[in-house]
Amino acid sequence: MSEASYLVELREAAPQASEGLRELIRTMPDDQRHRRVAVRPALVAAAAIALAIALAGAVIGGLTGSGNERHGTVQASRAPDARTLQPPHGASVQPQDTRQFAPSLTARSRLQKQQIAMRLRVDDLSGATQRAVRTTRRLGGFVAGADYATGSDGGNSRLALRVPVANLQKAIASFTNLGTIVSQHISVADLQTGLDRLDVRIAKARKDGKDRTLKRLERRREALIREGTYARVSLQLTTAKPAHQHSAPSRFDRFWDNTGDILGKELIAVLYALFLAGPFVLVAALLILAERTRRRRADHRLLEEAG
Amino acid sequence: MPTSWPTGKRALRDQRSFADVAEEHLDDVYRYLLYMTGNPHLAEDLAAETFERALRRWRRFDPHRGAARTWLCQLARGAALDHFRADRRRRRREGVYASDIPETDEPVFGEGLSPALDHAVRSLSAAEREVVVLRVVLELDGDTTAKVLGIRPSAVSTRLSRALQKLEERMVSDVRG
Repeated sequence: MSEASYLVELREAAPQASEGLRELIRTMPDDQRHRRVAVRPALVAAAAIALAIALAGAVIGGLTGSGNERHGTVQASRAPDARTLQPPHGASVQPQDTRQFAPSLTARSRLQKQQIAMRLRVDDLSGATQRAVRTTRRLGGFVAGADYATGSDGGNSRLALRVPVANLQKAIASFTNLGTIVSQHISVADLQTGLDRLDVRIAKARKDGKDRTLKRLERRREALIREGTYARVSLQLTTAKPAHQHSAPSRFDRFWDNTGDILGKELIAVLYALFLAGPFVLVAALLILAERTRRRRADHRLLEEAG
Repeated sequence: MPTSWPTGKRALRDQRSFADVAEEHLDDVYRYLLYMTGNPHLAEDLAAETFERALRRWRRFDPHRGAARTWLCQLARGAALDHFRADRRRRRREGVYASDIPETDEPVFGEGLSPALDHAVRSLSAAEREVVVLRVVLELDGDTTAKVLGIRPSAVSTRLSRALQKLEERMVSDVRG
C-alpha cells in the first residue's frame, strides 16, 4: 500500500457527525443575554479615555493658569529683592507709591556697622543731589565723596555719605522721596562683641600698666565706635530711563506654556510609572511564558499517554 | 431554530451567525475529537461541549485572528484535554488503566476504512492521531495546525512525519502478521 493511498483512504472515509449531534447543535439556546465586554476594544477605550483625561487636565490647567498675571514680569521700578516693609517714622507713603523700604535690621542697644547702598532714578539730578547733601548735613552727617556727571543720555550722581546711625531712618526716608528706588542694599555687622573684647583687653592693660598697649587699644576702640556711630550711605542718583519692560506674554502664550508644562509632567509621570512597573511586567511575562510552555509539554505528555 | 446572533459590528463584519459556523464545522470538530479520543460516543459528547463553549465565547471570537475552524479546533482540543485530565485523575483514583477506545471489529475512524488502517490508527497515541487528523483528514496547513497545537510549524512537520512513519510500520506489521 502506497503512502498516498492510505492517506486518501483516511480522508475519504472521514467519519460524519451523527444526526443526533447535529440536531443538538441546532437547538442550542440563544446566548444573547450573556453579552461580554470584549477585552481588546475595552483596553483601547480605556487608553483613549485616559489620554482624553490627561489632555483635558492639561487644557484646563492651561486655561486656569493663563488667567493669572505672571509675577515674573520685569518692572524696572521695583527692586529685585525688595520687600514691602514698614516705612520709617516720618515718611509718608502714597498708596500708589512703588518705593520700597528696607527692613529695620538695627539693634539700638548694640554697636553696629551699617552700610546702605541706594540707587534712585530722579528727574532733576542736580536738585536731587543738592537735597540729598542738605538732608545729610541737616541730620548731622557729612559727604565723604561725590561724583557728578551728566551727558546727552542723562546723568549720574554718586554720593558717599556718612549719616549718624541715630538719624539713619530719617535719612533713608528723605532719600526715598528724591525719586524712584531702583535698588537698595543694606548690610549690618555687629561691632559690640569686638568692642566688649577690646574693653576687657583695655582693662587688663590698664591693670598691668602697659601704657603702649593701652593707647593702641584705646585708638582701636575709638575707631570702632566711630565706625558704629556713622552709617555709610552710598547714594547713586540717575536720570537714565528705566530698562525696557518685557512685554507680558499673551493669554494664549500662557495657555500653551501651562498646557505644555502639564503635559510634560504627565509624560514624566507615565514614564516613571513604566520605569517602575517595567521589571514587574517583564517578570510576569516570563512567568506566563514559562507556565504556557510547561502546560503545553504537560498536555503533550498527557496525549502521548492517552491511547 | 437557531437565531442569527451575534448582532452588532462583529456580526456585520463576519456576516455569519454562530449557527451557520457550527453547522459548517460540526463534522470537522467531531472528526478531530474522534481521532483524539478514539471513541465515537465520547467524541459526540466532547463535540457538544465544544460547541457550548464556543457559543459562550462567540462574542470574543475575532475572525481577523484566525478562521472559525481553527478557533473551534482549539476549543475542541481544550475540551479533550480537560477530559483526559479528568480521566487520568479518575483512573489513578480507581486504579484502572483501561483505554477509551472500544474493543470492537467495527472501524472507529470512519466507515469503509480498511481494518488494517483502522487498527494502525488505533495503535497511535492521541498526540499522534491529533496531528494526523489535523493535517491529513481536516487538511489544515502547517501554520494552522501549529496554531491549534500551540507549537511551531517545524514541530508539526516532525510530529506528522513520525506519526505517519509509525502508522506505516503498524500497517506493514499487520499485513505480515
